[in-house]
Amino acid sequence: MYLQIRLKTERYALSLEHLIEVVTLGEVTPVPGAPVTVLGLCSLRGEILPVLDLGRLLVIRGAATPRRLVIVADGDRRAALAVEDVTDFGQLPETTEAVDSPLLRGGVIVEGALISVIDVPAVLGSTDGSTVSEPA
Amino acid sequence: MSVVPPALVNIFREEAHERLAEITACLLAVEAGSPPADAVDLLFRQAHSLKGGASMVGFTKVSTIAHAIEDALEPARTRGALAPELVEALLRVTDELRRAVDGEPAVAPDQAIASGKSNGVPAVLPSGTEPPTVLGSRTGNSVRLATEKVDRLLDSVGEAVVQRRRVAHLIGAQVIDADELLKEEIDREEDLLSELQDAALEMRMLPFGSITGRFPRAVRDLALAEGKAIELRLSGVETQIDRVLLDGLVDPITHLLRNAIAHGIERPEAREHAGKPRLAQLILHAESRGGQVAIEVRDDGRGVSSELADEAARRGSLADVLAEAGFSTAGRVTELAGRGVGLDAVKRQIESLSGRLEMDSAPGQGMRVTLLLPVTLARFNVLIVERARQRFGIPLTSVTEVVAVGAASTLEEQPHIDVHGESVRLSDLARVLDAEPTELAQAPPALVMGDARSRVAIACDRVLGEEDVVVKSLGATLVGAPRYLGAAILGDGGIMLIVDPEYLVRNAVRSSAAVRRTIDVPLPAPAAAPRILVVDDQFVVRELERSILDAAGYRVLTACHGREALEAIAEDGTFDLVVTDLQMPELDGLGLLAAIRADPIHATLPVVIVTSRGSGKNRRRVADSGANAYILKEEFDQRVLLETIKRLIGR
Repeated sequence: MYLQIRLKTERYALSLEHLIEVVTLGEVTPVPGAPVTVLGLCSLRGEILPVLDLGRLLVIRGAATPRRLVIVADGDRRAALAVEDVTDFGQLPETTEAVDSPLLRGGVIVEGALISVIDVPAVLGSTDGSTVSEPA
Repeated sequence: MSVVPPALVNIFREEAHERLAEITACLLAVEAGSPPADAVDLLFRQAHSLKGGASMVGFTKVSTIAHAIEDALEPARTRGALAPELVEALLRVTDELRRAVDGEPAVAPDQAIASGKSNGVPAVLPSGTEPPTVLGSRTGNSVRLATEKVDRLLDSVGEAVVQRRRVAHLIGAQVIDADELLKEEIDREEDLLSELQDAALEMRMLPFGSITGRFPRAVRDLALAEGKAIELRLSGVETQIDRVLLDGLVDPITHLLRNAIAHGIERPEAREHAGKPRLAQLILHAESRGGQVAIEVRDDGRGVSSELADEAARRGSLADVLAEAGFSTAGRVTELAGRGVGLDAVKRQIESLSGRLEMDSAPGQGMRVTLLLPVTLARFNVLIVERARQRFGIPLTSVTEVVAVGAASTLEEQPHIDVHGESVRLSDLARVLDAEPTELAQAPPALVMGDARSRVAIACDRVLGEEDVVVKSLGATLVGAPRYLGAAILGDGGIMLIVDPEYLVRNAVRSSAAVRRTIDVPLPAPAAAPRILVVDDQFVVRELERSILDAAGYRVLTACHGREALEAIAEDGTFDLVVTDLQMPELDGLGLLAAIRADPIHATLPVVIVTSRGSGKNRRRVADSGANAYILKEEFDQRVLLETIKRLIGR
């Protein structure tokens, strides 16, 4: 089962095995010095989560206005992905199309439109290492 | 045949390792020539308890070996002393024992559990000894808890605290202050919750000593293998550390000790040649340092070469130079510790615990490695400041004082301000953290931080107050964000980042503040100015009062509570007036006042009480206390304070 989301005109999907819940985007506290792909922090029932800018991570052109947070997890790692909207929820066929991003698992064509499947563990690991290092 | 529950097996293993650590420590002490008075009995008791526990959970092999140790100790028991040649043999047997403890139980006996009798080992205990000790008896009333359970409790308590603050926020401070009964109830709830939180937090902590048991033996063996004479000294073992951190520290510390033995410490002959004692000192020390835990591995060996020291000085960090794979201070890589590769791993592991690795070394004189670890989930007393419309928490222990930035002068193209005659570099919080800086106000407050070598003043827009907060980690996704120790949820539901004070001090240099030049140079207090002692347990109140009095030309000293105030008065009896809070730990304001009035020398010292509006009973106690003046915190105004003081001492 997959959750489908929209970022500008593009369609994406992520596997339900990583989904915790979807919430309306509330206040996000900026984290000065964090990578640009980190919008900040949000709190969810007492837990503090990083908010990742999915549009920026996937290098989608044009300013998207995130309205929802998709809370995802991979083991101990949890984060909120800021997306424009959640559009659908259901089965998807196996991925057939190759996609040019380390954060995507592949793509499927559904009714003539490309839906790219997000690699949640890769997205959660995308801020590791170099990006949060100390300034020179 | 019943199956022993896995939880019970785990408890047995944990306890068995504790006993093994004690046995090893005792044997090493005997070997070093300084055995504890009752060494033989101690060894016998430990082996005996181990045997009993093992047979109950079906660890037949452990039970058999422990029994063999008992037998071996029998002649020594009679004589009252342990033959040195037996020590080496016993150490080898404990290795065997350790492997057996980590292995599988052979059988899971049912009768043994029911009867408490040993299993599979003939009962040849010396007469007069007690039957095998029942599992857990040594630990008395303690209960072993799974970390996850503690964490679940902590999360719930943390949520309850946030929820309480949210409720208080919704009711509103003014409503609460106007209703004495409500205020009392809310204060009581706050106290109860914070007690609960303290208790839960403590459960997560274990003493550093709970992981150090294995090190003396490891050091001894490595030293022998390397032909070196080493004394390992453990200190600060009582330091409380988050148990999750402790688990992750065993490997890095082991590696650092190996490094010191294999590479740092010279052979006895070489040490003698260099004019050092043959016996090398290896020190493993833990201490808490203002919201952080510092663990030091220090040796008096050869240290790094002067070329390396030079390179470290050039690059600013010895740890960075050494962590680059391939470096070895000994110039060779033994099978014990390939220094370069290993250190890189240590550094990464410490960083994954949100910690930092620092190294310093003087060529020829030894090396010190310091692991600095922020406590992942702890309560911090923080100073809340606002900068660029965002709130930040700064651990209070790291802030020396708060000053108002008057005139800044420029030294080496950096703005500096004068703090008690010392020129201190001024930086802007927003710039240090790489936040979008807004313009600073005229005469903004600045936090003075750092030690004598690296003192800095960090300017912000406003100081909002101090608060006890539960710090949550920023999560695996932001691990390594070096600016923050974590974040906390405030009463209004907002998130506040907790800034790493060490980061601030280290990086203040590169980001000076753009402060508007002002001309109001504060005049230094003349020597004859009256001296005032300010007593308050709240940093913010203390600093506020201090800065008002300071600006008015008084000479001010501060104390955190009544006891400290009395000490200050006893040490230096030249105060002209005391300004004190009422509710304080150790000794409260009324207690302080009573002590002053009872002291023939200081009985007439004017005392001003600055207090919150209390209950009727409290007000009467204050009125009867014999203070010279009262000022309500709710109506606090610097003019009132200054006029009151002027009225009392005439200046």
